Amino acid sequence: MITIFKDRQDIPKTMEYVELNDLFFNQNTAMMIDGQAEKIIEIIDDAKLISKYKIKSRFNDVAIDIDKLSAGCKTVLNVMYYPDKVFCLKECGNNALEVLYGFEKGNVCSEYALIPFGMVSVMVQGKTDRMVISDYETLKEWWDNEK
Amino acid sequence: MRSKPIVMEHFSTVHSSFVVDFVFKNNITVLMGDSGIGKTAAFSFIRECMAVNPQILCLNYLDYQKDIKEIICKVEGKLIVVDNADILLNDDTRKYISLDDKNQYLIIGRNPKNFFTTKENLFELVSEKIGEQTKFKIKEYL
Repeated sequence: MITIFKDRQDIPKTMEYVELNDLFFNQNTAMMIDGQAEKIIEIIDDAKLISKYKIKSRFNDVAIDIDKLSAGCKTVLNVMYYPDKVFCLKECGNNALEVLYGFEKGNVCSEYALIPFGMVSVMVQGKTDRMVISDYETLKEWWDNEK
Repeated sequence: MRSKPIVMEHFSTVHSSFVVDFVFKNNITVLMGDSGIGKTAAFSFIRECMAVNPQILCLNYLDYQKDIKEIICKVEGKLIVVDNADILLNDDTRKYISLDDKNQYLIIGRNPKNFFTTKENLFELVSEKIGEQTKFKIKEYL
């Protein structure tokens, strides 16, 4: 399951936090793209991966550079290919959140709640405490509570 | 928050097979919705118009290092379009935007915090295929 931080201060010093998912993807994740990304790109952006650095646009079937993926899709792929880093969650739409919350590992951070309706279990991590939450209401409450 | 757009009620542009055709009903329009529906593509087409239209000012993650509030404080009579708003705009800038009566805003992001918005300000992008063209419009989110 993914781990969620609600305060950047709670992220261990040994873990890098990435806020600019677009830039990180373009400079790092893009060159790691393989078959694993195919389904994710299709589900979130309704685009087709046609080669390592090219996708077919949902709008006009034109082959475009993979840097044109949405910020939400890039965030999800960043989390998948770099499970040791913590990525900003804020640019994920509900469709990207649905995919992300289903991952077996990965780390994200947002100061406010971003929860898909069909969530399963996630790990939440504060400065000292760490626990598993498996329902929407409890997770929302954790997020909304004072740090 | 209901307030009439002070710069333009309509914006349209064409970029190859894409048409952007936005009707603004408020001075602050927050454009939200799922990932991958074309919000940033529409932003890039609007940004292209900055070259010839002095009323347009576009900001996105490439301006991350800049003081956004300082930039918008200095301008007047602009449609300020902000992509990646959820990471670019801090609380202070959001409060400034909500009270700015010199400029109009199109905010692309999902967090309306501190804009003092109501459902009248929240919109989503819709695309329509017309022959070979794709037309982007905005419609009420709620």
